[in-house]
Amino acid sequence: MQSVHHHPDDDILWHYCCGAASPGAALVVRAHIETCPHCRSGLKVFEALGGALLERIEGVAMSDAALELALARIERPAVAPPRPVKKLPAFLDGFALPPSVAAAAVRGRYWAAPGVWIAPIDTGETDRRIKTYLMYVKAGMIMPEHTHAGQEMTLMLKGSFTDKYGALAVGDFAVRTEEDSHSPAITADEDCLCLVMQTAPIVPKTWLGRILQPFARI
Amino acid sequence: MSGLIRKMAFDQSLVFGATRRMDEDDRHLETTGVAPTDNAGLLIARIAISRDREAYARLFCLFAPKVKAFVMRQGMGFQAAEDLAQDTLLTVWRKAELFDPAKAGASTWIYTIARNLRIDAIRKATRVRDLPEDLWQGEPAKPADEQVIEHQVQESVSRAFDRLSEEQKTILRLSYYEGLSQAEIASAQSIPLGTVKSRMRLAIARLRTHFTKA
Repeated sequence: MQSVHHHPDDDILWHYCCGAASPGAALVVRAHIETCPHCRSGLKVFEALGGALLERIEGVAMSDAALELALARIERPAVAPPRPVKKLPAFLDGFALPPSVAAAAVRGRYWAAPGVWIAPIDTGETDRRIKTYLMYVKAGMIMPEHTHAGQEMTLMLKGSFTDKYGALAVGDFAVRTEEDSHSPAITADEDCLCLVMQTAPIVPKTWLGRILQPFARI
Repeated sequence: MSGLIRKMAFDQSLVFGATRRMDEDDRHLETTGVAPTDNAGLLIARIAISRDREAYARLFCLFAPKVKAFVMRQGMGFQAAEDLAQDTLLTVWRKAELFDPAKAGASTWIYTIARNLRIDAIRKATRVRDLPEDLWQGEPAKPADEQVIEHQVQESVSRAFDRLSEEQKTILRLSYYEGLSQAEIASAQSIPLGTVKSRMRLAIARLRTHFTKA
């Protein structure tokens, strides 16, 4: 594993730790943490803080029968919920995916442009504007310049791309917002796969991008 | 079993045996309101090793009200919070043998279980879906040095938290309990966003320092 250079900031990690992140954002952050010891230890600090706050909070009395119920429940055998055997779509065969991406509900892919496919992920998102997907781009391609109407989180799963903010390699995590306009260029010698969560559609800045957007549906 | 409950209600120490150690813990609990972590860890170990029901009852009395209070602060209703506290402790019972004191303190472990159940509950309320395995279970084996550090995280973060300024504590609590964003904290506290950001950054940096020193 190459070393990771770009991490989620404390605010993002914190929100993730508290369970305040949207399902899509949580998936991208979790997938990054699975491959990044640095953020894993950062998360440990936040979780330990959660533990410390839990210790210090003044309890709210449980109902009178609570303990009786609790002691009765542990006598019953645990019924394991049937875990549906999920098969990853065949088009993801051969990719090294973080466990939570491999466990995600990846739907069928569609071709957004020649050499570019997108596979939406069903994260159980209630906010319909938030989209999470895997995006695959052929080596050497340059994405049309665009900006973002909301927040975009990207985790590199394979290959790398470069935009004016620098290079993103495998395991790297990036956030782009309204203020960031970029035109990612995929490294010439390797195809690129990334996990993306966006809270609003991208905003193309070129005529080509505007023409392609209806097909890309992102 | 109901005899046990009745006795517990009247005098917990009768049931659990008034060992000197427990007495000290009880006093500690009364004076500080903070459950001694290694005591809770011990109770979980007793559950893991011998399915010790008395240990479970004690752990339940210690943590169920706190879990309930915690998720209520996060906006969960009274009954849902009660159910979540029940489920959290039931999960502790069932997964007790997975608890590894080298990985985290007991209260951190219980906190992560409650958090995951809460995320689960919120998602189920909006839409039925199976969650991916939680981080805890899915964690790969770690290099030994990483584990040694983690072993002391709980205690040092706990102590570091107590040493933070009141303003810093308030911001962390608001953010944690109420799930407020930095901007929301700023307007709730009527302080500039920049101040919230810098206080939070400082607080987190302080927690991290103690973490790396440990």
